[in-house]
Amino acid sequence: MGFLHLFIVNKSGGLILHRPLGPAAPRIGTNEWLRIGSTFHSLHAIAAEASPVKLPGNKNQSGADDGIEQIEGGGIILKCLQTRTGIKFVITAEPGTPDLDTVLREIYVLYSDCALKDPFYELEMPIRCELFTNSVDNLIERVESGGVKAR
Amino acid sequence: MTVHALHIFDRKGKTLFTKRYTSTKQQLLQDTEQLAEQRKLIFGMLFSLRELVGSLTPEGGSTVMQSVKTGAGTLHCYETISGLRIALYTNNNPIMNTIGARGGGDSSKTSFQAALKHMYSEIWVECVVRSPLYRPEDIQVDPLEGRDNNAGRFDIKSTNFEARLDAYLASMPWFR
Repeated sequence: MGFLHLFIVNKSGGLILHRPLGPAAPRIGTNEWLRIGSTFHSLHAIAAEASPVKLPGNKNQSGADDGIEQIEGGGIILKCLQTRTGIKFVITAEPGTPDLDTVLREIYVLYSDCALKDPFYELEMPIRCELFTNSVDNLIERVESGGVKAR
Repeated sequence: MTVHALHIFDRKGKTLFTKRYTSTKQQLLQDTEQLAEQRKLIFGMLFSLRELVGSLTPEGGSTVMQSVKTGAGTLHCYETISGLRIALYTNNNPIMNTIGARGGGDSSKTSFQAALKHMYSEIWVECVVRSPLYRPEDIQVDPLEGRDNNAGRFDIKSTNFEARLDAYLASMPWFR
């Protein structure tokens, strides 16, 4: 089963990274990506607002704002990890792909190691770190060939 | 595991039917206007999410959206070709019926879709659409929307839709 896309949205809703992760990923133009990123940002918050039950303080277990965690469709599964700082890591994959949560957490770790510790990287700006994108590609390759242990 | 609420919307976003199964103090304080706003939010969210999922799905995959999970609960949706949408709110981790079934992923997903489909085809179509009083443009939702002249409106309460729906949901293993 394949991974499709990874995209990262900053806390104002702007897209800072989008990357296809596999051959099955549909080609999406840059403008469309920007639209998808901001639409997802708003819907993430609306989902928590529209729910008949809400978590206390609207914060989930990890201290981040509650919102969409997973969307399942007929041909796609989308998972989102929102951090306390408001950054959303979103990954899409074909249904049946294992280890999506672990991969998402690993990508968060890679982001903090490669992008945040880069002295030239400006926060909330598009990520242009080769180290980060190479590490993400390596991670996906590792997962597809052998699985990854939960950290 | 509980079912929190069920909403049915038509193609244009009007609420055709809505029912709460659990209610907390905060919800009792919400008045009907706020609830109507919340329903509009739900419809808008379903509409936009479907487009989003459609553009992200690879070629050859079906673009139907099945469920949306947040930290507080899960929203299962089913949409018919005529644009009628059924939205069912449950909490996370529903109890599925087969003892010892470890396949949480696929089987629970298809079982909710099957249940929603049954609710549409066997309960909604049978009780509401086939009712001799049915007027699709003029369905009255409870509570009343403030229109004094109620002549000619079709009230869902005049059918036994709600009773059959409650009976069906109560028979599901994941309903409370």
